[in-house]
Amino acid sequence: MSRIGVFICHCGENIARTVDCARLAEESGKLPGVMVSVDYKYMCSDPGQNMIKRAIAEHKLDGVVVAACSPHMHEPTFRAAVVQSGMNPYLCEMANIREHCSWVHTDRELATEKAIDLVRVMVEKVKRNQELFPIRVPITKRALVIGGGIAGIQAALDIAAGGHEVILVERQPSVGGNMARLSETFPTLDCSQCILTPRMVEVARDPRITLYTYAEVEEVEGFVGNFKVKIRQKAKSVNADICNGCGDCWNKCPMKKIPSEFDAGLGYRTAIYVPFPQAVPNTPVIDREHCLKFLKDKCGVCAKVCTRGAIDYEMQDEIIEAEVGAIVVATGYDLYGIGKEQPNERWKGYGEYNYDTYKDVINGIQFERLLSASGPTQGEVRRPSDGKVPKSVAFIACVGSRDPEKGIEYCSKICCMYVAKHAMLYKHKVHDGQPYIFYMDIRAGGKNYEEFVRRAVEEDGVLYIRGRVSKIYKDGDQLVVVGADTLSDSQVQIRADLVVLATAMVPHKNAYEFAQKIGIACGSEGFYSEAHPKLRPVETMTAGIYLAGACQAPKDIPDAVAQASAAASKVQLLFSSDELEREPIVAKVNEVTCVHCRNCIRVCPYSAIDDKEIRDRHGNLIRMVAEVNEGMCMGCGTCVAACPSKSVQLAGFNDEQVFAEILALGHE
Amino acid sequence: MIEQIREKAKELLTSGEVKVVIGYENGGMPETTRPVFITSPDEVERLIWNKHCYANLANFFVRKEVASLGKPAIIAKGCDVKAITVLVQESQIKREEIVILGVTCEGVGEPLLSKCPICDVNTPRDYNFLFGKEIAPKNGINKSADVEEFERKSPEERWEFWEEQFSRCIKCYACRQVCPLCYCEVCIADKNQPQWIETSSHTRGNVHWNLIRAWHLSGRCIDCGECERACPVGIPLSLLNRRLAKSVKERFGYEPGYDQEKAPPFTDFKQEDSQEFIR
Repeated sequence: MSRIGVFICHCGENIARTVDCARLAEESGKLPGVMVSVDYKYMCSDPGQNMIKRAIAEHKLDGVVVAACSPHMHEPTFRAAVVQSGMNPYLCEMANIREHCSWVHTDRELATEKAIDLVRVMVEKVKRNQELFPIRVPITKRALVIGGGIAGIQAALDIAAGGHEVILVERQPSVGGNMARLSETFPTLDCSQCILTPRMVEVARDPRITLYTYAEVEEVEGFVGNFKVKIRQKAKSVNADICNGCGDCWNKCPMKKIPSEFDAGLGYRTAIYVPFPQAVPNTPVIDREHCLKFLKDKCGVCAKVCTRGAIDYEMQDEIIEAEVGAIVVATGYDLYGIGKEQPNERWKGYGEYNYDTYKDVINGIQFERLLSASGPTQGEVRRPSDGKVPKSVAFIACVGSRDPEKGIEYCSKICCMYVAKHAMLYKHKVHDGQPYIFYMDIRAGGKNYEEFVRRAVEEDGVLYIRGRVSKIYKDGDQLVVVGADTLSDSQVQIRADLVVLATAMVPHKNAYEFAQKIGIACGSEGFYSEAHPKLRPVETMTAGIYLAGACQAPKDIPDAVAQASAAASKVQLLFSSDELEREPIVAKVNEVTCVHCRNCIRVCPYSAIDDKEIRDRHGNLIRMVAEVNEGMCMGCGTCVAACPSKSVQLAGFNDEQVFAEILALGHE
Repeated sequence: MIEQIREKAKELLTSGEVKVVIGYENGGMPETTRPVFITSPDEVERLIWNKHCYANLANFFVRKEVASLGKPAIIAKGCDVKAITVLVQESQIKREEIVILGVTCEGVGEPLLSKCPICDVNTPRDYNFLFGKEIAPKNGINKSADVEEFERKSPEERWEFWEEQFSRCIKCYACRQVCPLCYCEVCIADKNQPQWIETSSHTRGNVHWNLIRAWHLSGRCIDCGECERACPVGIPLSLLNRRLAKSVKERFGYEPGYDQEKAPPFTDFKQEDSQEFIR
């Protein structure tokens, strides 16, 4: 006979307002096997917990049900409390009578009935609970940081500063990411590259950081503390150990008209190139899709002029395998394409803005390049079509963002600030020019942000027009921007020499595929999901994988850096012990009834199940079965569902427990 | 044709390449056959082949008594080979550890079994040795004509039909025993802690068993029709199996038993799967 204690929490008014807790306690006390049933205002408080501890001793309880909030909140609290009374923590369960009951119902009578049901269900489950013990696994104290933008750089530097090895993988030939492309940064207007490049140099110099540029993470296997990763080092065609970065090769390369990705198509690069002058490492790569040597087996000029003999046309991609204990994903963002081609059906694009047709309609990152001293115009604001200095510029905010019709509902967060910055920098460079900003609202919630926007209006004479732009058309060599001014309730037409669209920040086009590859979740927009929006903002649902920067949500530089440091501190926390304790909620195969159909092995999202040979004492193979690696199992239960003979069970949620719960609902 | 089969069987047994040949012999009564396990080259004369060779012998691979004899050769029609293909996919046998003596087949039974007119594997898709003249697969067969016919009935009529059918089930589990793909050593129907399948002889328990059996074979059943043939009370189980096969084909473009390399839909995940809710 079980000896269960039921402890009912009022959660102040949260539960007691809708559920008759006294009656619930009385009814619960009548359930078979329940020795004690009490209610209390705050069960999670010290006196509440003490109540549970005393009852365990007094009534010799062998199971505890706390009817309160979601186990997400207080399960650890109550499990820790029962442990203090010598009970195994997995003999304590929670019945969620708040989120599942009082918060979602209004009828007190019915809500109370439902609460009684929920408690009965949990009592029946607890009767079948077994003592479970944590699983211990060793930790590899080396971290992988994916993405070498500012977030990845910061995370790598912080983890390395904590004394741990870091592998930093960047897709592009140089670290730096989008921040390296920016001119000056809000709200202080300090030069982006000036503050970024020291960090880039530090990453390359730190002996604890192994940097792979022009490389991609190909595969992630394993589990927290024990990941095995494969990194594809794409062939650079240049031997980085010999190359001294003199630049002879790219100066002599005949392919000079390749649109530069770094300059967002406004400038050109050669086929052998470093993306920008301060690139780290300063080793060029050959873009084989544009190189004559690879296209037509001609040229070979770079190899001829290289005095060090560093050019290697035969170089092959290389797969690097590494073991790491933690992963920081910092893969950054893309911009909403405003051309006619869109990567998915939901995004409609902005055909009415004629981005594809008019050279002088550009996006924010292109304008950054026009402002930047390292950009295609050496920092002079000159429009792409004819190189003239524009005397009026229209900036349009929320292109993509906050526009469900065009496919994106969220706010990209940084645009309000950077359009103010753009307008201001434009004014600083073209004193007689007039900047206009079309906006929906001004969201300037950050330290010194509002002051910055005020400065744009008051000191630099930026004209803000509250309204949306319906179309842009060409008239002579000017662009006519037609929009609404919702404050004066009138139509406005602005003649502009240049139009800059503040396009939405969107996830990388391969974000979803990459998430699948490494085993983390994406939200509906494709940004990577954090484990909890408030309380676990840098962790993913996959233990040991953390998020930093704009891959999780639109972010400005300070936020990205803060999150990167937070992720780094989570990694260091993980690395602070030699062994990891894992929840024992893992699957186990019944080897007697398993017939090795391998369904579970195929469906396991964590590759945690493997073949196992059963041999007799002479070593002869009797048969094969499946076996769960406890260290890798995340307890999702997919294998349990897939097993045709029900030979896999999830500890803490076995069939008997689940059946008992369902039956308890049916039997009053 | 049978002479060539016997000759090959003799050769394989004599050389020791296989230890047992699984085939058919005369069944003692007219127009019947039964499975036979030939382990000696002297016994190959017992092997026969005719239109009464119904049984899907792939069923015997996983039987311990047969497995303990050593490497088998098996006489297999096109439909039987489909079962072998699924067994290989589900790692119950290794393809290189068996020898398939494929026979071309124009259909078995008098009249033909319901599976035969809609058969597109008259020549087996996989074999080590083939006997009989190759028969080109028929084109444009509608494998679910009987299902479509049945689906024209109202849901109430259909339920009434199945309720009546299942009410006659005596839970002898012959359907399970004869099925080459029901190879679990402990079937879910036999688990009683907890009791997944209601065992009562009431129609409700019968429905439960029959639906679970069909469900566990969805995306796997190769329509050899053995369950229906074995059923002592004549429940048209193939109709149920084909109904599920139809859904699997429509939704996943998958037919089991045709391609060993193609992943079975219920244990596979494709990134291009349009069902976005799963994110």
